[in-house]
Amino acid sequence: MSALATDVRGERPAPSLRRRLSAALFRHPRVRLAGLLALPTAWLVLVYLSALASLLVTAFFTVDEFTNAVVRRFTLGNVRDVLSSPAYLGAALRTVAIAVAVTVLCALLGFPMAFFMAKVAPPRARNLLVALVVTPLWASYLVKVYAWQAMVQPGTGLLAWLLKPFGLSSPGYGVTATVLTLTYLWLPYMVLPVYAGLGRMPDSLLDASGDLGARPARTVRSVVVPLIWPSIVAGSVFTFSLSLGDYITVQIVGGRTQMIGNIVYQTYASNLPFAAAIALIPVAVMVVYLTLVRRTGALDNL
Amino acid sequence: MMAVGLAFIYVPLVVIVVNSFNASTVFAWPPRRLTTTWWSQTAGNPSVRAAVATSLEVAVVATAVALVLGTLLAFALARYSFFGRQALSLLVVLPIALPGIVTALAFRTGFRTFLGLELSIWTVAVAHATFCVVIVYNNAVARLRRTGLAPEEASMDLGADGFTTFRLVTFPLLRGAILAGALLAFGLSFDEIVVTLFTAPPGVTTLPIWIFQNLQRPNQAPVVNVVAAVLVLVSVVPIYLSQRFAGESTAGGRI
Repeated sequence: MSALATDVRGERPAPSLRRRLSAALFRHPRVRLAGLLALPTAWLVLVYLSALASLLVTAFFTVDEFTNAVVRRFTLGNVRDVLSSPAYLGAALRTVAIAVAVTVLCALLGFPMAFFMAKVAPPRARNLLVALVVTPLWASYLVKVYAWQAMVQPGTGLLAWLLKPFGLSSPGYGVTATVLTLTYLWLPYMVLPVYAGLGRMPDSLLDASGDLGARPARTVRSVVVPLIWPSIVAGSVFTFSLSLGDYITVQIVGGRTQMIGNIVYQTYASNLPFAAAIALIPVAVMVVYLTLVRRTGALDNL
Repeated sequence: MMAVGLAFIYVPLVVIVVNSFNASTVFAWPPRRLTTTWWSQTAGNPSVRAAVATSLEVAVVATAVALVLGTLLAFALARYSFFGRQALSLLVVLPIALPGIVTALAFRTGFRTFLGLELSIWTVAVAHATFCVVIVYNNAVARLRRTGLAPEEASMDLGADGFTTFRLVTFPLLRGAILAGALLAFGLSFDEIVVTLFTAPPGVTTLPIWIFQNLQRPNQAPVVNVVAAVLVLVSVVPIYLSQRFAGESTAGGRI
């Protein structure tokens, strides 16, 4: 019996190098993992984390007054200048207010759209509606801002033309136009997570709430919104962060409105450390925001 | 509400397309007279062509890098649990989750003062690749989670070694998702301006930079209008193709 087994085994050729390598990898998951991780981790650390670190460090450097070159001497001067200047703090507050307004508008407009897509529209139409919402996400960002320049243009823009019969005029370039344009740009970032969240919520909960006597508004407030809150928060991370860091939109449709982004854009060429110090404001705001929303579990949905 | 939302989304895009036929060089709604002159003029415009070529070069390099890094990361994070896994998955989304101005300025200081590099078309491509990784990663990781390990285990049980299994089972299952991710990463890179303006030296003009520079020049308005209209019309292509490749409705992992 054992002789037969030996014979059978003996007929097999010796395992090839490839086969042995494959077996070795199979037995050592840590080696496989290291192989997978080496390249991407090295890239992210060397290119991205080092960039973030150098931004942080540069904020505490200074510049040569004549050449504008960065001088590697530690100073708290930039941070102190930013924090003691009403103009910069005002711009920071304005930027946060704009980001909050955009996020709230996206949620108010995006929730009913997502609800319609997930729960009201016939299932056949759902994919089409998702495609209709997603497609403009891939139309050029700059082109969309340009479109809104044409929309809000005072006197001859499309909004002016639409509002004229009602005796109203276009908001023109300014904070309102900036909020409108940013809402337009980031709306799909709110609709899609909320749509996905609603898709995971069983329809029977809506029926149960109705059977227990709740009117639709009450069902939305007490059942739907609490359940999909993490999805709304996940969307808000994007709408908030993207608005916070924008400097192009406000240049094109914002008139003379100053946001953190365009102050950085205007100062980085002449005083990089100072621009870096200003850029720490949105970083700090985002850290606070992410810490606040961490409890909702929304960050697992990103 | 859905109709209002869709109107809000599509009216500005329609305005762009209609405006590209506007005979007047100054925008005013509604347009008085339509023409196709601007379209034929733009087709032969050398600076537009050069900008498109630059954008394509950057997008090809960025997509190739993102494809490799994103797929490797997807395998590591979907199939293994290890110390620092949470941190790494956060690090992948960070380039697009942090405000754009922060990422942009960070890359510039990183390249210039930390790595001591001169800005070039390569610094643009490297920056683009870094935030495109998450797009490929999201697409691949979703597919890996859905297919699970069963097909690969079946293949190994039937005697295939790890390499054969990857070639005949794992990769074909993943191919659609990776292609979709690559396409969307390409689209994102082609369109990017926030980070590009901070990482490109003067003289490296991608298409978005070209548009941005010419927005302020009134006599270039008709050409800008046509370029804008073309970009609106071709934005349908990546979504259509990625849905075909991935076979599912996806935000393209951009979210």
